Amino acid sequence: MLTYIIVSLLIAIAPLASRSERMTNLIATLFALVQVASVALLFVFDRFDMALLTIFRTDTLAVVFHVLMIAVLIFSLIHSSSYLRAEKVTTRSYNAYYTLLMLLALSITCVYYSYNLAMTWVFLELTTICSAGIIYHREFEQSLEATWKYIFVCSTGIAMAYLGILLLSTVAVEGTLDYAALKSVISEGNPLYLKLAFLLIVIGYSCKMEVFPLYTVGVDANYAAPAPASAFISTALVNAGFVSIMRIYTLYASSEVFAWARNVLILIGILSLAVGAMFLRRTNNYKRFLSYSTVENMGIVAIGMGIGGVALWAAVFHVMCHTFIKSSMFYHVGVMRHVYDSYSINRIGNYMNINRIGAIGIVVGTLLLLAFPPSPLFVTEVMLFSEIASQGRWWLLILMVVLMCVVLYAIWSRSLRLNYHSNQDELHLSEVNRRLSYSASVLLLIAVAVGIWQPDMLKDIIDSIVNLQ
Amino acid sequence: MTLSLIILYVLTLLYLSIAERFRNHTTILAVQGLLLFGIAIARLHEFHPVEMTVIIIETLVFKAIVIPAILMTVIHRTKINRIHSSSTQFGALVMSIIALIASCTITYYMADERTDMIFFGVALYALLSGLILIVMRKRIFAHLVGFLVIENGVFLFSMAIGVELPMLINLAIMLDILISILILGTFLSRVDNDIHTDESDALTSIKD
Repeated sequence: MLTYIIVSLLIAIAPLASRSERMTNLIATLFALVQVASVALLFVFDRFDMALLTIFRTDTLAVVFHVLMIAVLIFSLIHSSSYLRAEKVTTRSYNAYYTLLMLLALSITCVYYSYNLAMTWVFLELTTICSAGIIYHREFEQSLEATWKYIFVCSTGIAMAYLGILLLSTVAVEGTLDYAALKSVISEGNPLYLKLAFLLIVIGYSCKMEVFPLYTVGVDANYAAPAPASAFISTALVNAGFVSIMRIYTLYASSEVFAWARNVLILIGILSLAVGAMFLRRTNNYKRFLSYSTVENMGIVAIGMGIGGVALWAAVFHVMCHTFIKSSMFYHVGVMRHVYDSYSINRIGNYMNINRIGAIGIVVGTLLLLAFPPSPLFVTEVMLFSEIASQGRWWLLILMVVLMCVVLYAIWSRSLRLNYHSNQDELHLSEVNRRLSYSASVLLLIAVAVGIWQPDMLKDIIDSIVNLQ
Repeated sequence: MTLSLIILYVLTLLYLSIAERFRNHTTILAVQGLLLFGIAIARLHEFHPVEMTVIIIETLVFKAIVIPAILMTVIHRTKINRIHSSSTQFGALVMSIIALIASCTITYYMADERTDMIFFGVALYALLSGLILIVMRKRIFAHLVGFLVIENGVFLFSMAIGVELPMLINLAIMLDILISILILGTFLSRVDNDIHTDESDALTSIKD
């Protein structure tokens, strides 16, 4: 693991010494290869579920989300190159962007593999620092505002989470904050401290998972960052927040306050879903629109975790599939920006006649996001609803259906406007890069394939993740 | 000894709530760093060179010297001087005293036999003081000070519950916080340069 971190770190900072964009692209390719090789080596040498350097563990949760991150990273690296060239950035700025993106990928990977409560916190804080540079990359006034808010709110939120970690560590034996060690002693903890710790940690990590209450900074970050980086932040980084909360969730499964913690997650989920539904109708920017869709989807995931049982299985599957769909949508929106030089919902339209493949990608992506079959999200939401119904929580079911109807209307109407409405005023249309639209659609095809057929191996993997013992 | 240092720490928090000049805020943060060093040393049961080094780096070097130096640089660069003229000091003092009373009350009901009640109460007061600074003050520099007061509160809190994290983790946490503050300081200067404001009310151009 140490070798992997050192090699990845050296490759990540190498673009700073690069003199050409071509060299930086080669370095980025090497970085992606190292990521692929690191996972391949785990398979070849059968190094699963092993402790590494005392603070990491190659458990199923970590490996699965690492694989997902690599998939998104490869597409982000490819799309970033075209995006930055179209923006005509300087070579220095180009290199700095790639360095930060690779450092962000490395810190996210460390979050996934971290098996120590305090080190998860350390790596999450590192992701804040790496993301800040990417959010500020476009260097306009609003990106500066978004960056300031992102660093400040994340740092303060994560300081609160640290307080929760300290409270949780009162049960630790000899200061060991290993998740497995904590799990064996958590039942002896003071229930009041455990509740407070859970609340503080979940609130702190909510800025990463993009759920209520600190979701706003994530939305602003996605808005300000270049579209391919937004795709990465909105999926890989959000997944890092999910993995961190999932580890706490698994830890609390052995405590007497688990039922209370699940109710907290249901409340957070409902509030996130409500916020998503409300702002999806209000926003006038396609990137913010997609970010609020992330808030809505992560709200559904939080509800699934809160309900437990089959719904927890559905929640994990939902996060995995959301990664493919949402990243693809961000890449498509990035291509769309090449065409219009704008993300404004009210101004742009007629995309179906300008870039048919891109428009079809956006329509398909929208349908998948809205959980129309064969979307994998249809599978997860049916499982979630059936579990809620089987527990007799009809109020929750009705509330969710109402909110999701609002979401459906908001998302579908915006998609139609983009594809079929005429442009509101004169826009300076530029060339369409259809190859990027095709490549973004590959991720949608993967999502459709998983929606139609879930292989037994995938089911076993999720079963092992949701095993709370 | 520890009790007198803790009382001094409470006084710095009270003074912070009424201080107007940012130089004074920075000086108070440096004093808090020194007090935390004294408190941490006083609580050491026996001499451990490694533990001693970590305490010196975390409190004396980082909290009492490096961070105040970064803040002073930001003050020089941005030429910001004092908190907003419309802010009332009396209101801030009342809020601070309410926070102190609330901290004592919460501590009384929450602390268990493993927790040091005085440390717990003061740590909670420090956290609330930081939050009050962030919520009540308009200038973003004051928000940065509020964040640092919260960080100091978290440090006290770790002593209140007697947590001793491994040295590697402690160092990683320290580095993380230091880098965050460096970046926050840099971006604060950029906000001042590019947006020509140092007030949070002006940072509202991103909305739906």
